[in-house]
Amino acid sequence: MKIAVCIKRVADSETRVKVAGDGKSLDDAGVKFILNPYDEFAVEEALQRKEKAGTGEVVVLALGSATAQETIRTALAMGADRGILLQTDAVPADGFVTAQAIATELKAGGPWDLVLFGKMAIDDYNSQVGPMVAELLDLPCVTSVSHLTIENGVATADREIEGAVEVVQCPVPAVITTDKGINEPRYPALKGIMAAKKKPLEVKPVTLGGGSIEVLEMQPPPARKEGKIVGEGAAAVPELVKLLREEAKVL
Amino acid sequence: MTTVLAVCEQRDGSLRKVSAEVVTGARRIADALGAEVEALVLGSGPASGSDQLGGFGADRVVTLTGDGFGKYAPEGYAKAVADRAKAGATVVVCAASAQGKDLAPRIAAKLGTGLAADVTDVMVEGGALMAIRPVYAGKALLKVKLTGKPAVLSLRPNVFTPVQRPKAGTASTAAANVPAGRVTVKEIKAAEAGALDVAEAPIVISGGRGLKEPANFKILEDLAHAFGGRAAVGASRAVVDAGWRPHADQVGQTGKTVSPTLYIAIGISGAIQHLAGMRTSKVIVAINKDKDAPIFKVADYGVVGDLFEIVPALTAAVKSHA
Amino acid sequence: MKPSQYQAPLPLDRLILKAGSEGAGDTMELDVCIVGGGPAGLACAIELARLGKKDGNELNIGVLEKAEALGEHNLSGAVVNPRALRELFPDLKDSDFPFRRAVDKEAVYMLTGGSQIRMPTPPTMQNHGNYVASICELVRWLGGKAEELGVNVFTGFPAASLLVDGHRVAGVRTEAAGLDREGKPTSSYSAPNDLTAKVTVLAEGTRGTLSQGFCKWQNVGSENPQIFALGVKEIWETKKPLDRIIHTLGWPLPTDAFGGSFFYPLEPNLVALGIVVGLDYGDAALDIHVLLQRLKMHPLFKQYLEGGELVEWGAKTIPEGGYYALPARRSGDGVVILGDAAGFVDVPSLKGIHYAIQSGIYAARAIFQALKSGEPAGEKLAEYDRLVNESYIIKDMKKTRNMRLAFKDGFYVGGVKAGLMTLTGGKLFGGKISMHSDAEAERQLTPGTPGSRPGSVGISKVDAVFKSGNSTRDTIPSHLIVGKDITKEVADFYSHVCPAGVYEQVDGQLRVNPPNCVDCKATDVLGPRWTPREGGSGPKYKRM
Repeated sequence: MKIAVCIKRVADSETRVKVAGDGKSLDDAGVKFILNPYDEFAVEEALQRKEKAGTGEVVVLALGSATAQETIRTALAMGADRGILLQTDAVPADGFVTAQAIATELKAGGPWDLVLFGKMAIDDYNSQVGPMVAELLDLPCVTSVSHLTIENGVATADREIEGAVEVVQCPVPAVITTDKGINEPRYPALKGIMAAKKKPLEVKPVTLGGGSIEVLEMQPPPARKEGKIVGEGAAAVPELVKLLREEAKVL
Repeated sequence: MTTVLAVCEQRDGSLRKVSAEVVTGARRIADALGAEVEALVLGSGPASGSDQLGGFGADRVVTLTGDGFGKYAPEGYAKAVADRAKAGATVVVCAASAQGKDLAPRIAAKLGTGLAADVTDVMVEGGALMAIRPVYAGKALLKVKLTGKPAVLSLRPNVFTPVQRPKAGTASTAAANVPAGRVTVKEIKAAEAGALDVAEAPIVISGGRGLKEPANFKILEDLAHAFGGRAAVGASRAVVDAGWRPHADQVGQTGKTVSPTLYIAIGISGAIQHLAGMRTSKVIVAINKDKDAPIFKVADYGVVGDLFEIVPALTAAVKSHA
Repeated sequence: MKPSQYQAPLPLDRLILKAGSEGAGDTMELDVCIVGGGPAGLACAIELARLGKKDGNELNIGVLEKAEALGEHNLSGAVVNPRALRELFPDLKDSDFPFRRAVDKEAVYMLTGGSQIRMPTPPTMQNHGNYVASICELVRWLGGKAEELGVNVFTGFPAASLLVDGHRVAGVRTEAAGLDREGKPTSSYSAPNDLTAKVTVLAEGTRGTLSQGFCKWQNVGSENPQIFALGVKEIWETKKPLDRIIHTLGWPLPTDAFGGSFFYPLEPNLVALGIVVGLDYGDAALDIHVLLQRLKMHPLFKQYLEGGELVEWGAKTIPEGGYYALPARRSGDGVVILGDAAGFVDVPSLKGIHYAIQSGIYAARAIFQALKSGEPAGEKLAEYDRLVNESYIIKDMKKTRNMRLAFKDGFYVGGVKAGLMTLTGGKLFGGKISMHSDAEAERQLTPGTPGSRPGSVGISKVDAVFKSGNSTRDTIPSHLIVGKDITKEVADFYSHVCPAGVYEQVDGQLRVNPPNCVDCKATDVLGPRWTPREGGSGPKYKRM
């Protein structure tokens, strides 16, 4: 069972967002960086499948700056076998550029029984690198999977769509992007944390293309317009409904 | 004339509402670029509602059919759209719906270009296509320039309000001539019977300690029903801690972050955790007997008074307008 | 009302476990197990690792930290004396340390409700040569150094019990994770771990649970009981820059309360401010969080804060008993106690961080020697006590041994006594002033001021907890041991004591909101006992 899990180092969701001096990126002073929560599900899924198979290897891959090694070590502490860092100082705004770099590395390191991603990163909310990598590797892909079974070379996956659950099938090997609900990620054990330090972590500098999405600026969201007290008591209800219908257009 | 492709979405043979938003967004881009809008519908035949797309700005509506296209066929759809785009589109617009989030990256990768995903605004400046997209859970907005040829974007649902215009587009059907692909949708299961998840519902009605006791949440459930299945009942941490409501309903702090179109906070004072959980809701209504409650500072519309009188009145008003 | 009457006893049966008892999942053997990843624990780890390396014998050192990441449970003013860091890193310059800025201008004020009187800076508070710093940043930096040296830092692992073998401390057992409100395992359950070690270092910080447990178990007493102050602190981004460190006395503290406030610039427009109040105050309705909110409305502070933004909030107790409250020995068979856990804080100068680091260095040297000597290392740790006793730590604390205690007679009398003590270098009023513990101090149940609405720069407790970064899961079991027969008055008292709103009095009953807890330990001093809970719970301080 050879499984690749692609992970990302992201700013914690509780981060107070300040724009850096360049006007385009996050000011990372005092920001806590963590393993992307959706990627935790992917790592856990890989570990569970390897454990079930009794044999195999879980390789963790990340694209990022040297600090991303910490994030890879977290996955190694959970139980992954080895890690690869595609080192670049600037994580591209264009997910396709990231996908190309990851696909090249995976192609060189394959073939894989399964390639896992988190469904999206909680910093850029792009939700794209997984399926793009699948395209580049010409592998079938199912995204946002909240339940996965693999039997006789066929993956059956549940994915949430609006108001329903879509059941999708595809042959394996495949690329799967994981969503909440697929499993309960384990806490790294003490022994795992210790062992992680000794597991192989290869750092490979990469040069990336320019891509076709350019960040011009980052801004705080517009301040909410000052609200108004519509009135008092039940007597205010007709006016409230009118405003919601005609002004806010939500009814 | 160049083309802006608007990739529409159908389910069970009917166009989903988000298709009108996609066409509207595509029209905005096309007007700025001096281009035409081609609405694409993929399915086993024309989807009902396709004839309305012209009214939202589509110059032509093309239905692409194929074996296995009745249900969403990720690989087949992606190839069909990409082939169509290669024939002369400068921009491809999708919805950032559940399907669109799956489809748009595949299209972009097939076209060898980047994807500006989950976009909340588009504009053309100096001849270049720009988009605004929220990042860090909406705590910041990124302005990006798309230089791909073609450029691919997906629009956040419920943002590009469909704009009607008195124009009808032409309609045609063509065979997509691509296989459905290796990934197949076997079935669509109804979501678990019962309440909508607070994180997914377009309308969230949350209750706090002002409700005085757990049984009174029935008032909120009645209001939720009045919205006809589009509303979920949420809860503040205080009432979840007190055991009145399940943790799955909690909004804020370690409960859920929600971003519905309409958020109604009832008997909730507005502790920061709760505010953080619902801050990015489109419209916030607060009902509280304390006119100084912090929630009123965040609410777009507030009603001060006894919730036990106001909420039933609101329920009745919503029902009668339904 | 005496708070001690309502307190549950220290749960020794949970704190002291026989090594090898059932209940652990994984076990791990270390040479040295350090409980607490603060300045003391990390300094000890760094010095020990370095000594081991130099000797060609890499030691297996583990640091257990209950927070999810280093620094997240550390809070201080802070103005740091760099001497201990210089000793720990002799090859580095002051500019290499993660300090924010050298102390330049400073001022001390006596506040009244509407104005301030500049006072001459008392000699004990001269801070020239010291640096304004964030203890969180210092800890993260020390953590990086420790990991570079091969120290294992285990974050998210609270130590809940000492493992003992006869009189010897053999290691610790960590707390389980993933229990539901009733204490039953959920699907994400993670069993406790046993870590056995030749030496266990207790660097738990203020009011350490295992440190208390050890002293009780081995009957290690002190001349006076330890007493505590509660500090509540905020960090603000301000429009108006602050160019000096400021300390104040007087308003809004009542005259029977000991303490004051601090106002430090981390950067000109990033300021730390807080209020510190001794927990032996008399009015049962005193609420230190509310005092801080009131303080911010004073023109001296408001001029800076208006238009600014509160970015962090936190709280922590400080041991204030000084020299006479130090445990008679801070070492035992297999164990040493460092830093705040031992009580190494000099109150008049508000300094404890450099003592913590220094105690860590001494502990490391004593432990290393003991390990080298081959015999059961645990028995040779008295060397640590000797090193500390002969050092500036004890010398400093002896000089100011009665300063804080003098204030038990009230602010003005205390002020006079303290002044005379300083002038005479501790010779006047030199005999030990005996002191009772905070819980033994009587409280008056005068109807207190009702919780006032926070002003324009104020914040409620619930919002404050959010700003501490606390996102403890709401279904966590309670880690607080409440005493018996809690009356309405006692419930009210608790609700005022706790700065995080853990306690509320509702319809005459005590309601407990354990997820709010920010581990300040005020509850352990005056109310329900605090015990360690699932790793990663509590605050997530970034620059406190």
